[in-house]
Order: sequence, then structure tokens, then C-alpha cells
Amino acid sequence: MPIVETARAKTWRLMKKNKWIYLLMLPSIALTFVFAYLPMPGILTSFQDYNMFKGMMKSPWVGLKHIRAIFELPLMWGSILNTLKLSLLTILVSFPAPIILALLINELKNGIFKRTIQTLSYLPYFLSWIAVVGITYSFFDVYGPINDLRVAILGQDAQRLMFLSEQKLFIPFLLILTVWKEVGFGTIVYLAAITSIDPSLYEAAYIDGANRLKMHFYITLPGIKSTAIILLIFTMGNLFGSNFELVYGMQNAFINFDVISTVVFSSGVQQGNYSAAAAIGFTQGLVAFILTFTVNQISKKVSQISIW
Amino acid sequence: MHYESVPYKIFKVFNAAALILIVLVMIFPYLNVMAYAFNDAKDSQFGGLTFFPRVWSLENFKLLLQNKDILNAAGVSVLRVIFGTIFALVVQFSCAYAFTMKDVPGKSAILIFLIIPMYFGGGLIPVYLLYSKIRILNNFLVYILPLSFSLYNMVIIRSYLYSIPESLAESAKLDGANDILIMLKIYVPLSLPILSVMALWSAVGHWNDWTTTLYFVTDRKLYTLQYILMQILKESERMAKLMEEALIAGRRLNLKQQITPQAIRSAEIILTTLPIVLVYPFLQKYFVKGISLGAVKE
Repeated sequence: MPIVETARAKTWRLMKKNKWIYLLMLPSIALTFVFAYLPMPGILTSFQDYNMFKGMMKSPWVGLKHIRAIFELPLMWGSILNTLKLSLLTILVSFPAPIILALLINELKNGIFKRTIQTLSYLPYFLSWIAVVGITYSFFDVYGPINDLRVAILGQDAQRLMFLSEQKLFIPFLLILTVWKEVGFGTIVYLAAITSIDPSLYEAAYIDGANRLKMHFYITLPGIKSTAIILLIFTMGNLFGSNFELVYGMQNAFINFDVISTVVFSSGVQQGNYSAAAAIGFTQGLVAFILTFTVNQISKKVSQISIW
Repeated sequence: MHYESVPYKIFKVFNAAALILIVLVMIFPYLNVMAYAFNDAKDSQFGGLTFFPRVWSLENFKLLLQNKDILNAAGVSVLRVIFGTIFALVVQFSCAYAFTMKDVPGKSAILIFLIIPMYFGGGLIPVYLLYSKIRILNNFLVYILPLSFSLYNMVIIRSYLYSIPESLAESAKLDGANDILIMLKIYVPLSLPILSVMALWSAVGHWNDWTTTLYFVTDRKLYTLQYILMQILKESERMAKLMEEALIAGRRLNLKQQITPQAIRSAEIILTTLPIVLVYPFLQKYFVKGISLGAVKE
């Protein structure tokens, strides 16, 4: 080996030395290339009248036809409004819920009781969304416990209701189920953040005569602020993408409520309107990215907390 | 705290009561479905069950488990969990190990290549079109390959690997072992804790997934348990077929009880969830560890 080595020669030597290392990275690179990069050109079908038999090269280009259609077709436009409405409401209830639960659990002394409460509260998180939907069907069945309770309170003549076919109950169901499934598991991050707060702060506050409530207000909540903001930024990206599994699972013949992802599925995969579905999916992805980016920048300015 | 005021003591009692109530809300719906699944179907018809079955019976499960479609779906689900998890671990671990190496030209460029898809994606339709082109629609591989690489998991494994002292690898290198041998002989055994956490996450993800089947699979032989549950809930043909087959089987097996859609639904929900519900309490400390590790590294 020469004593003075050119930069290129050094790179080449290191590459040869690390040939096994590249081999170890190869599966990840190949899988990412095929399953994450290769679909990207498919976005261009949004600007075509895509025909599966002709393929992308031969399908006619139609410009913004399908993007414009999003704003003209009531199904598409309605689904966008529904998505936004549902996402805002979901954030409103599912962002504070784990914080409150974590504060309550934090008040318990470490021991079997606390551990049991925590473990049991995680249960719904480990069920699939479709199992959650199934449990809901069962729980609100005409002869399920909720109707049993109704009859027990109102007397034998009370009518047994079909809650799941009520249009006006649909969004409340989605919100309740989201909180039910995720709140317990959501506490983990916050409990970890609370544990990492310096205990001497509480000692000092105690000596200064602060009561418990004040301590939480001035120490605990500021202590978990950065965790909360980071989680909020991540949720913002989903503002434009709703929970397909839950909405699709809960939809039935009596319900008229579509979100972007259910429209992409029904009009694209089921009915074969690939271009229209790709267009709305593409718009969704673009807006989601812009939203995450914007919220991240605002947060960076306001609180110096960001994910990038 | 050194001193507990009276209001605080009262608060503690209310707090414990509130938490017990919350936990009941969390588990009661599941216990109720379980009660219906283990209850005689005819007796269940007019409701009234709460925590426990009234008339114990295993026949709902017997009828469900003699069904060819259900058995086949259970097999697909299990195979998918096993192969999907093993494949994902091999891919992620070897990548994570490679990224702990110093002086690898192009390493940061490769990392950026792996990061970009976290922020930009094609969406469902382009993915669907690609899958049909590379012919993995209606192919078992659609369950295994697409989600096997996860940047997030790779980063967590890598941070674990950094905690293993380098001196172990260096002495092996002096003995002439190459990087792959060192990974297999030294790093894999030392990483078993993090590997088991990742395996559990991956297994639960594979077991619970049903949208892959919904989007990309129409071949009945590749249906999973979760997908059949979706059909039971949403498609009346599936329920009618299961009912019919259960009636025939009931006659053949000489079972006394009749079967109802409610019984089939409850038993299928329990069948698809029980494996996880039984196991997760023992694994939760690993899950919690994974979460906190992820949170610290972000």
C-alpha cells in the first residue's frame, strides 16, 4: 500500500474492504427500491385515462381532468370534507385523552394495582381494527348488552335499537372507538416522559408551598410538553388521511359517509377507475406532506421543537 | 410526598375508582363477546349475557373449526406470521448491523435513499398497479415482502447494537473472521433481547393485518382469519355460507345445538384475537421497552 493514497484509491480500497457490508444492506435497498420507489411513477396515471391493458406508456394523457373532477364530483369533494372533519374531531379527542389518563395513572403508587390497570388498558390496542369493529357489532347488537341495559332501565316495552345503522351516531362511534383502542397504549410515552422529570423540582415546589394540582400545572405538564408536541406533529400528517380500516369496517348499507381512503379503494381497486382514484390519493399525499411540514415549521419557530 | 392533605386523600380514592371504571370499559366488551362465544347459541339468542356464559358450550368453536375455509385461513395466518417475521428480522438486522460500520463509502447516501419513502409515497393505486405488473397480486409473497423493511425498526436495532462493546468484534477480526461471520457469531446472540421485541411487533402486525388481503388478494386459498372476520361482519354471503355449512356439519356430528349468526360471529372474533390476548400481558414489558427506546432515540 502506498504511503500517500489518492482520495479515489482510498474510497475504492474501503469499498473492497466493506464488500460484505454492502451485501448486508442489499436486501433493504432492493426492497425499498421495488416497493417504495417503483410505485412512484404510477402517480402519473392521475394525469392519464389509464387503461390497464394499454399500460402507462400507451394510455392517453388528459392533463388535469381528474384533479379537476375531484372538485366537481360530490362523492370526491364530500369525502375530502368528511376526512378533514373526522380528522379534526379525532385529534380533538384522541390527543388529550392519553395525557389525562397518564396523569391519573401516575398518581397511583407503583405496585400490582398500577401494573394491572396499565396492562388491562392496553388490551384493545392489540386487537386488529376489524376485531374492534366486530366487538362493536356484538356490543351494540339488538340483543347485545347495550340494548339489554336499555330494556333493564326503560322496562320490557322499550324498543331495541339498531345503533350502528344510525347516520348521526356514525362519527361519534368512530371517535369513541379510536379513543377506546388507543388511549391505554398512548399513555406509555407520557408515563415515560413523566418519570424522566427531575424529582427535585417537585421537592422545591413542595417547600415553596405548592399543592399537588399546582405541581402538575407548573412542573408535570411543561415536562411532557415536548413529547406532546412531537406526537401532535406526527398526527398532523394524518389530518388528511383517515383510518381506512375503521371507517370501512363500520360502513354499512344505512350509512352514507365516505372518506378519501374509502373512495380510493371503492372507485379505484373495486371499480377500476384507476386514474380518478390515483388523482385523489395523490392530492391527499401532497396535502398531508404540506401539513406536516407547515406544522413542523410553526412549532420550530414557536417552541424550538421539531421532528426535522 | 411528605404530607398528604385531606382533599388529596379523597382524590386518591376517587382516582382509583375512576381508573377501575375506565379499565372495565376497556375489557368488558371483549369479555362479553367471549361470554357469547362460549355460550350455547340457542340460549344466547335473546341476549342477557354479561361477563360469563350462562350455558357453557364449546360447540360454536367445534362448528367453526370444522369449516375448511376457516382452517385454511388459520393456516395462512400462521404461515404468514412465521415467514413474515423471520424475513423482516433478517432484512432489518443485517441492515442495522451494516449501518453500525464506520468508513463505508456511500453510507449516508444509502440512508437518505431509505429515508425518503417515509415522507413521499405513491398511494394505494400506484402500488396496486405495480403489484399487478410484477405479479404479486394473489401471491403469498404479497404478505411477506412489501412491509418487511422498516426504517424505524432498523434505527432501533442499530442503537441497540451501538451499546455492544466493539472490542468483542475486534478480537474476532484479528482471528480472521469476516463481517458476516462476526455478525452471526457475536452480534446476533448478544442482540436477542431487541430481536425478540422486534419479532413480537412484527408478529402482531402480521397477524392483525387484513387490508393487504382486501386490496391485493382475491384467491380464496390465501384468505386470512382477519379477512374472513371482515367478510363475516360485512358480507352476508359469507355468513350464509358459514351458516349452511355449520348446519350440515352439526347434523353430521350429531350436535344437539343450533347455530346462529351471532354465535358464529362471536366465536370467530375470539378465534382471531385470543392468541394475542393470551400472550400480550407477558410481552408488554418488551413492548414498553421498544416504545421508550424509540421515543428516546427520536
